[in-house]
Amino acid sequence: MNETLTQLEAADFINRSFKPLPKAYGDALVEAARADPRIVALCADLVPPTETDLFRDELPERFHNVGIAEANMIGMAGGMARCGEIPFCHSFCAFITKRVLDQITMQAAYPNLPVKIVGFLPGIATLLGVSHQAIEDVAIMRSVPNMAIFEPSGPEYHATMVKLALDWDGPVYLRMKRPETTPDEFTPRSLEIGKGMIRREGSDVTIITSGLCVLESLKAADTLAKEGIESRVIDMASIKPIDQTLILESAARTGAIVTAENHNIIGGLGSAVAEIIVEEGIGLSFKRVGIRDQFCEGGTTSFLMKKFGLNSSAIAMATRQVLEKKG
Amino acid sequence: MNVKHNLQELTNIATRLRLHVVDMVAPSGQGYVQQGLGAADIFTTLYFAEATMDPTNPSWPDRDRIFLTTAHNTAIFYATLAERGFFDVADLATYVTDGSPLEINSSERMGSFVEATCGSLGQGLSVAVGCALAAKRQGRASRFYVILGDGEMQEGQVWEAAMYAGSQGLDNLCVIVDYNFVQSEGPMDLVMSLEPIMDKMESFGFACQEVDGNDIESLLAAYDLARETKGKSSFIKANTLMGKGVASLEGLMFHQLRFPPEVAASARAELEAQL
Repeated sequence: MNETLTQLEAADFINRSFKPLPKAYGDALVEAARADPRIVALCADLVPPTETDLFRDELPERFHNVGIAEANMIGMAGGMARCGEIPFCHSFCAFITKRVLDQITMQAAYPNLPVKIVGFLPGIATLLGVSHQAIEDVAIMRSVPNMAIFEPSGPEYHATMVKLALDWDGPVYLRMKRPETTPDEFTPRSLEIGKGMIRREGSDVTIITSGLCVLESLKAADTLAKEGIESRVIDMASIKPIDQTLILESAARTGAIVTAENHNIIGGLGSAVAEIIVEEGIGLSFKRVGIRDQFCEGGTTSFLMKKFGLNSSAIAMATRQVLEKKG
Repeated sequence: MNVKHNLQELTNIATRLRLHVVDMVAPSGQGYVQQGLGAADIFTTLYFAEATMDPTNPSWPDRDRIFLTTAHNTAIFYATLAERGFFDVADLATYVTDGSPLEINSSERMGSFVEATCGSLGQGLSVAVGCALAAKRQGRASRFYVILGDGEMQEGQVWEAAMYAGSQGLDNLCVIVDYNFVQSEGPMDLVMSLEPIMDKMESFGFACQEVDGNDIESLLAAYDLARETKGKSSFIKANTLMGKGVASLEGLMFHQLRFPPEVAASARAELEAQL
């Protein structure tokens, strides 16, 4: 009797927890694996949250749930890659980057193997709090030689993430986010390695952003447009390698740059953009929007984006400030 | 013991490898001489008898792969690779000189015969497990040998990898622990004991054997049994004596040993007499 009750409760819990949200990444990975027998998937016991349930069910002979053991997962992936396979490893961003940095550097990056590291729950976007928040992952992964980093701004870019990961002949970090609500119908869009995408054109200021902050930046640009400020918004999904040409062209064109990212302001996208501008000897009005070098807390994404200054109003305010300085 | 191997020939190879170890460590006066002498029989049996490989084609996909996961017992490792024909024996003279790929910790920049860049302890078994799984998937008959350090087994990742190998019944995987009882800060039992190591590995699903790691016939017999064991990974606890083969060094249990020229000279004479 007790057992039956427990199972009913578990079923009810599962039904409430996993709403039928699209799994564009998971679908694309299965499709790629059907076409390329070298592709295998590993997961450290977070299968539906990393959309790998599709792979598990469709291609079980090429799927490993390795248990809650991320370090071993990365080492195994290195071995598989040495034997001619292309392993995609899955967990949450926090656990698949900073927890296993040494394994990544030695068993994927130094030998420049096609180990694809796929994290979900980017930055602050989780109810699960500091243990599950990755606010330093981009800084860490950016400093690893041979590593590429791609971060999609929404489900329409999830399928292209698989393609980018395969196109990069070496280790890759995908900083993924599951949709929180069922989006309207969307059309898959493609991206290119090392290319920023201009999502809105404007000549007064450039907002360079990635991931969750892209939509917030576009909203901020709408608000600013009503004030007569025209913003160019660049979706820098390819964080490494980064689009140096577009950054420098934007700096010359608008003379003011704001960066916006779901990450600590130290070491991430904002730092990457600043490095390029400063090394080119360009003086301009510049501001980074991001987590202000502090630990956060669990909560809904919209609450956290507001509290920690990542939402559209924070981005709009930073944009007004750089324009004031630009004069 | 596999009849195709000549015991006297393997014994001579082991002695030649020990001579290289002495010659390689002598110029700097310190290094892993004790560990190298102790592990010479493991390296000899694996590289010259047990494993299938082709020095003219080190990336041959169907080869057996041997992983030295501590990566720092390199004098014996490089001596073995050179004598096996993977590179010129003359290059051993560059051991631990600036610019030489023969670094104190081995790296795959030497070539693909260094099967993974380890040295950050505890990682190599995971790599071998990944290879073993891929080989099964690809239908290859390759076997995967992992030479673990005993102290290295204190790393948690070793146990993650062992748990997964055990749960998958990877019978193409054979773990050999070079059990010399010493880690960086002294005897293992005074730092953190591994015992009962056989029980631990058995409970992780491994077929376990304990052998004298300086007895060539016992090692070969253990590999034979491991190869014949189906549905389980193998674990061989190979007890080795530090300094083996040089009477004055045998049993001197130090992770780092000063190795002055006069000691090197007498060690060399003693080993040459054994050939």
